[in-house]
Amino acid sequence: MTDSIVEPFLKGNTGRNTRGILRLSILCLIAAAAIASRLFSVILDPWFNFRATKYLVANGFYDFWDWFDDRTWHPLGRVTGGTLYPGLMVTSGAIYHALRALTIPVDIRNICVLLAPGFSGLTAFATYLFTNEMSTSPSAGLLAAAFMGIAPGYISRSVAGSYDNEAIAIFLLVFTFYLWIKALKLGSAMWGALCALFYGYMVSAWGGYVFITNLIPLHVFVLVCMGRFSPRLYVSYCTWYSLGTLASMQIPFVGFLPIRSSEHMSALGVFGLLQLIGFVEFVRSGVPSKQFTTLLRGFVLAVFTIAFGGLVLLTVSGVIAPWTGRFYSLWDTGYAKIHIPIIASVSEHQPTAWPAFFFDLNLLIWLFPAGVYLCFLKLADEQVFVVVYAILASYFSGVMVRLMLTLTPIVCVAAALVLSHLLDTYLTMTSPDAPAEGASDATNGAAKKAIKQDGLRSMRSPLVGIYTTFSKGSVVSALTAYLLLFVLHCTWVTSNAYSSPSVVLASRMPDGSQHIIDDYREAYQWLRQNTKTDAKIMSWWDYGYQIGGMADRPTLVDNNTWNNTHIATVGKAMSSSEEVSYPIMRQHEVDYVLVVFGGLLGYSGDDINKFLWMVRIAEGIWPDEVKERDFFTERGEYRVDGGATETMKNSLMYKMSYYNYHTMFPAGQCQDRVRGVKMPDQGPVLNTLDEAFTSENWIIRIYKVKDLDNVGRNHTAAASFERGNKKKKTTKRRGPKVLRVE
Amino acid sequence: MRWILSFLLLAFLATVQAVSSAGYKLLVVLEELADKSKYSKYLGDLEARGFSISYESPKSDKVALFTLGERAWDHVLILPPKAKGLGPLLTPKLLLDFINAGGNILVALSASQPTPSGLISLLLELDIHIPTDRSALVIDHFNYDTLSAAEKHDVVLVPRPDAIRPDVKNFFKGDGKGGEAIAFPRPVAQTLGNASPLLTPLIRAPRSAYSYSPKDDVDSVEDPFAVGQQLSLITTMQARNSARFTVVGSSELLEDTWFDAKVKRSVGMNGAPAGNEFKTSNQAFAKEVTGWTFKETGVLKVGQIEHHLNETGSEIVSNPKIYRVKNNVSYSIELSEYSWDKWIPFTPPTGDIVQLEFSMLSPFHRLPLKVAETTLTSTIYTTSFKLPDQHGIFNFKVNYKRPFYTNVEEKNTVTVRHFAHDEWPRSWVITGAWPWIAGIGATVTGWVAFVGLWLWSKPVPLKGAKGGKKNL
Repeated sequence: MTDSIVEPFLKGNTGRNTRGILRLSILCLIAAAAIASRLFSVILDPWFNFRATKYLVANGFYDFWDWFDDRTWHPLGRVTGGTLYPGLMVTSGAIYHALRALTIPVDIRNICVLLAPGFSGLTAFATYLFTNEMSTSPSAGLLAAAFMGIAPGYISRSVAGSYDNEAIAIFLLVFTFYLWIKALKLGSAMWGALCALFYGYMVSAWGGYVFITNLIPLHVFVLVCMGRFSPRLYVSYCTWYSLGTLASMQIPFVGFLPIRSSEHMSALGVFGLLQLIGFVEFVRSGVPSKQFTTLLRGFVLAVFTIAFGGLVLLTVSGVIAPWTGRFYSLWDTGYAKIHIPIIASVSEHQPTAWPAFFFDLNLLIWLFPAGVYLCFLKLADEQVFVVVYAILASYFSGVMVRLMLTLTPIVCVAAALVLSHLLDTYLTMTSPDAPAEGASDATNGAAKKAIKQDGLRSMRSPLVGIYTTFSKGSVVSALTAYLLLFVLHCTWVTSNAYSSPSVVLASRMPDGSQHIIDDYREAYQWLRQNTKTDAKIMSWWDYGYQIGGMADRPTLVDNNTWNNTHIATVGKAMSSSEEVSYPIMRQHEVDYVLVVFGGLLGYSGDDINKFLWMVRIAEGIWPDEVKERDFFTERGEYRVDGGATETMKNSLMYKMSYYNYHTMFPAGQCQDRVRGVKMPDQGPVLNTLDEAFTSENWIIRIYKVKDLDNVGRNHTAAASFERGNKKKKTTKRRGPKVLRVE
Repeated sequence: MRWILSFLLLAFLATVQAVSSAGYKLLVVLEELADKSKYSKYLGDLEARGFSISYESPKSDKVALFTLGERAWDHVLILPPKAKGLGPLLTPKLLLDFINAGGNILVALSASQPTPSGLISLLLELDIHIPTDRSALVIDHFNYDTLSAAEKHDVVLVPRPDAIRPDVKNFFKGDGKGGEAIAFPRPVAQTLGNASPLLTPLIRAPRSAYSYSPKDDVDSVEDPFAVGQQLSLITTMQARNSARFTVVGSSELLEDTWFDAKVKRSVGMNGAPAGNEFKTSNQAFAKEVTGWTFKETGVLKVGQIEHHLNETGSEIVSNPKIYRVKNNVSYSIELSEYSWDKWIPFTPPTGDIVQLEFSMLSPFHRLPLKVAETTLTSTIYTTSFKLPDQHGIFNFKVNYKRPFYTNVEEKNTVTVRHFAHDEWPRSWVITGAWPWIAGIGATVTGWVAFVGLWLWSKPVPLKGAKGGKKNL
């Protein structure tokens, strides 16, 4: 009965329309699910992007382009328009103005909060398009879109309020790859140009564009090595490269990098190689002499060698910027820790732990190799792309936690390919009649062809089709169970791991009720209300954006870590004794110093735990003045209690963290709950700073930098006088008299 | 009508200002009011200059330096008390707080009345040391008054002080003719530490003087507290907030008897022959020292500070918040000096200049400021310069700190931004870019010509089986 009702909708033209509508509605539902799963909790972060967007909306594009921000990196300021990727802000600004034009008054804050979930819906759609280019199966695309929509690896960077470059960049990444595949398949200059356009957009949005810049040339290079050079390849690549490079050079932050830095040289090299091969192919088609082709091959090889040698020469002589530290750290995971501690100090630049793969991708990670294997079976140009992408991204994601993000799309695609293949195999209602030779042709022509190329005897007459309903049922139900588990896992991860804002900490009381620890906002509010608008705040760079955004006060350093020396200066001020730090703070006109201290509450992300990074970064610039070794005891322990080293006890950071802390406890019971140690009963003495504010749970402590003593004493003497100690009279001088000289 | 009112108001303000630039409320701390008469001329001079004087004993409640957290007096004069202490209202901490709040203090010491321990610890905080033996006094066997101290040699005659450096203005030189002498009867010597830049000896003992302790006769001669020019008879300390603190080594210097006394030198000095009886310059000198301490002289005031863009064709906006790198800017600052009862234009002493720093972390420019204009009460200094090719948050900084002048530290923060995208010269202005522009032109022309040729020429029919679109 049902068959007869449904049947007209599934056949012929109506059938196609029905399937189209069905597909569209499924895609819409996937997008809706992707957005909905990102709304667990909303905290806007990072604040800088939001601030920049507000500036853009308030002052217009050109002012934003030329924006000089005098409230960060005091006193250097930041040429913000020239040192950021403007794509994110411009996108939000464009949406804002479009909505205003449609007379929908929306606060720019709401756009910023919902931009990442919104774009995740688009990413799901782009993944659908991309996967459809890879597979003929209609379900592969939908599955890939669904995976992309809810994979925790992507959700981690795109929950509501996570207003970072990655929010739109992943969509652009996937969509650029889709356009590239399209251009390559059709050999079309139009699709190539579109690809270049979105590549330009990607460049404007995220520094990770270098991944595309290297992946596409690598794909082309592999294809050329496989002997698959074709005019399609030539047209699509040359269109993409020339237009894309021009587009990328329009971003001030990128500027001339595409022709001057090593990271971009592979794209240029492959471009040159294609010209050579194109020329050779052209000549060969005209001159059929065998010897001549050999000569040409030699010529190509020679030119390639010369070009490569020239590249090396230019790199050595410094015309082309040598590989940057970030690049080296991709190959040697220990490199950053030694040479560029500032990069290593960021938690998301650490090598990935194995469980992270399962945590972020769940069942997709074990479907992933199978998907890559499937691509090998049907190795067309686009499948080569998947293989190349998979290899490259797997490596990089193992090097840096952050790059898990670039792996996620290809894992979703590969897993969808496998699952759709399985489902297509097991979900057919009709069982094949007999193991006849001819049956395979009808069902899987393309696969058959690929199989035929394989020389293996066992593959000659493949088993096609499943015969028993039981095996169909069991496999399908198992797969369904896995998929449901995957959804459960994704929801759990998203709600528990990726939706906990860093600014507000939540904990459970013994009776199960939720307890909110809101010290950060309390402290920022205090700064906002109790300090001058141009009071300079010194803190470790992690809190720079938040202070700039939530407290609206100028900072010395912030999360944009481009100036290592300036950060090292702050590190030196924090890790040196007061006598050394004070002149640094005076010179930088610091009014307040902010530290994060978790000892009372047991909050482990505090500054004492980050302290060694400050020391290391400072040591990189002043190896003679700051030494990491001095912060460890004789036995190599990092201690903060009574057994801490003198350098540790005298450092400004230690003093600021534990100043007055012992007064919180009865004598002999002073304890640091993060380090789990008993603190000495006598706390450190601060002479050059005054305690200005300590938040409810002591997480944030703010100190005011004292002015020079009014009557010319040093701070130690002045503070000692304040405490009521009288200066000792020098009754009898020993040794030669010190004469005053005018 | 209204202008009369405002005129009256101005006149009133003028009379108020005629006292001192820092206010007229003076507290004189002396133990017995009867002692007032000893200083009648000195205090009379002060009253005549417009100070309203309150006399309080250190034990009185009214001696409190602060009422409700506010400074109660503008100036404090502490005459040596007989008691050993100054009482709970004049502790060193309170006195230091008074200085930190901007009050001026003049302390007179005396060898006959031991200095209270509170004062000693205050002096120690300021790095001023006095002999441990509280009756120690300065003796000079060459420059003494032969009339009153023929035997004891304890009235030291000192000429008017020279400027401590040639480029520092001397407020204490009197009419500058020389031949005068200031009598220091039984002074308590002070020595100054080397560390503090705020200390300046106003007057130093002659080269032949030494500190002598009557109690400890032998030892103090063998190993005196200090000798010669190391002994400061009057020490000044000007705090960073320009509050002034003066230690006068001899309180008798201020007494009426020594204002009128005739003295006779044992040896000649500064051109004045020995053996002549003449009047001391104590009265005039005391006025100068007190006037300086209570901010009647040597006070600098910053009037208007103005900086603006100095480019041709740009309209002048006063004190903008932001400039661009390599802008030409002008800076001007108005300086006045207070001289007893009026503001006069400030001119630095010969050999000294007022400088402007343009700094971020360290100075990028340090330029001399030139006199542009002199008004009745002020001098306007100005300079023009080109901003450095470095963006950042810069300060226009005038940091003029000289001995005996109040501190001038003026910081005006401006942002120096980078070139905006449309402020660079266009490509066709740069001659070096012409080959590239020509290249673009050639490519465009070539392309158009090629397309034209392509469209114009008739396609040659393809031969053989190679027809149709190649299947890619």
